[in-house]
Amino acid sequence: MSLVNFTMREITCKIVYYGPGRSGKTTNLHYIYGRVPDARRGRMVSLATQTDRTLFFDFLPIDLGQISGFTTRFQLYTVPGQVYYNATRRLVLQGADGVVFVADSQARQLDENLESLQNLQSNLLEHGVDIRTVPLVMQYNKQDLPRELILSAADLDDALNFRGVPSFSADALHGHGVFETLKGISELVLKKLAAGSTA
Amino acid sequence: MTTRAVEAWTLEPLVKFVKEAGARLVLVMTSAGQVLAQHGFSRAVDVMSAAALGAAIMASTEQIARELRQTPFAALNHQGQRHGIFLAGVATSRGRLVTLAVYDLDVSSLGLVQLFFEQLAADLQAASPKDSVPKQVLAADFERDLTDSLNTLFGR
Repeated sequence: MSLVNFTMREITCKIVYYGPGRSGKTTNLHYIYGRVPDARRGRMVSLATQTDRTLFFDFLPIDLGQISGFTTRFQLYTVPGQVYYNATRRLVLQGADGVVFVADSQARQLDENLESLQNLQSNLLEHGVDIRTVPLVMQYNKQDLPRELILSAADLDDALNFRGVPSFSADALHGHGVFETLKGISELVLKKLAAGSTA
Repeated sequence: MTTRAVEAWTLEPLVKFVKEAGARLVLVMTSAGQVLAQHGFSRAVDVMSAAALGAAIMASTEQIARELRQTPFAALNHQGQRHGIFLAGVATSRGRLVTLAVYDLDVSSLGLVQLFFEQLAADLQAASPKDSVPKQVLAADFERDLTDSLNTLFGR
């Protein structure tokens, strides 16, 4: 859950990029790391295999600056997408304030997307969290691939976006949609924080 | 060296521990890796990386303990040539916390850190708030600030 320091007026939130293997979760973080000025980000930590597949997580802390008078920092995590790393995936999800589900837009990956979404629901439940209550956005990545290979954003919305949450088309490798996705999840997380604090 | 606390009740136990144990860097964090107090780090974003790694080590070893059907390991220690790291959990009314201490082998020792960690755990348990009242955090119209911040961050 978000950590709020009232004395120092600081907020820290944890956002997890979730999705099937090779959908582009780490690529999102690499793009953000490359675009954010040094002074506004920490080191990117990647616990990866020798072949650069995520083993435990990638981690990137960024400093958003002042929002409503609070210094706001986001901790961005990715999970390992491969099926057999579920135990570590569940650990990374602990305490998440928001989730970005990065789907692979390739038509042949639809089953993997669905399986990963079900896995997200199940792992959140293990932490006592209902997927319908957690701030969530969908990112349909690899929309730059040839049309005959991919599903459109509308098709992916029909297949995956059962909550009707904000969804974003993306080409994370070149940065298209990465900023919009981060903005989308940031808004949902901070809205929930604002609503919770005034309740 | 700076010592800072996000939650004020953690500060006094931390300051005492740093002094007694001779630790170089110390983090007190939630089991999800959110920092409650720290000593010795200069940049907030650096402290977050260390916390993420420390919490991950604790989470993975606790999971191994669960699979072995035993209670969580009390503490973990790794020693290098010049520094040692010590990780241990503390149950408090604020929830389960994790402490990460880095110590120089020519200034402190595992024994010293372990000894004063027990005191730190007791002090944190005693000081942790039994309940908390929600406070106003963000104004409802934070969206414009957020958009401006993200635009600046991405150079737009």
